[in-house]
Amino acid sequence: MSDEVRREVELPASAEDVWDALTDPERLAGWLADAVEVELEPGGELSMRTLEGERRTGWVEHADAPRRLSFWWRADGDEETSRVEVLLEPSEEGTRVTVVETRPLAVVELRGLELSARHEIPGHRPLALAA
Amino acid sequence: MPAIDSRDAVFDALADPTRRRLLTLVGDGGAVTATQLAARLPVTRQAVSKHLGVLAEAGLVHPAREGREVRYRLTPAPLSDAVAWMATVGGQWDDRLAALRRQLEAGG
Repeated sequence: MSDEVRREVELPASAEDVWDALTDPERLAGWLADAVEVELEPGGELSMRTLEGERRTGWVEHADAPRRLSFWWRADGDEETSRVEVLLEPSEEGTRVTVVETRPLAVVELRGLELSARHEIPGHRPLALAA
Repeated sequence: MPAIDSRDAVFDALADPTRRRLLTLVGDGGAVTATQLAARLPVTRQAVSKHLGVLAEAGLVHPAREGREVRYRLTPAPLSDAVAWMATVGGQWDDRLAALRRQLEAGG
């Protein structure tokens, strides 16, 4: 049982260009969030104001340019943390982008695995996982 | 409460940004009328009523007549919670990815 949202799109740009749009605060302001502050490394802090107007904070899990970005985020005042993974693959049209957002309860069964993988990461937030 | 097979109705209902905003406002407001909701959105009361009708058909809000008013509440349903989360988050990513595409097509 998992609460999961998955979207796959083909974008007319190189993986490097898409990665830049995913990680450069100036470009993020055009499609995801403004006031973005992010430390692009495992365990790095993340904060932004989404275009829906929510302040969200979290931390980076993986940042493997230009292939894979994953992070955990939570809206202010919201109990719930969710995980977002963005995968970039070169395709005929440019880049295939897959976005998967999952809720923590769906990840609980993976928790042992995830925690052991993350345990070594300084600055990570065990609380964000322990829903 | 929507049954599993009404999942499509829920997704359709939440595909529209105005309806997602409405659902949030109904959730914040407890029991609100179409007039109250229209005051908080850049759309007419008639449009709000139509959108509320779609949300009610999808089982996401519940209308109740109180005197001369109809008040809307969120439908309390554990099942609809998961469905609504997926529809809301899915709708957000649809909007974001469409905007990202526009940015890339415009050359960054």
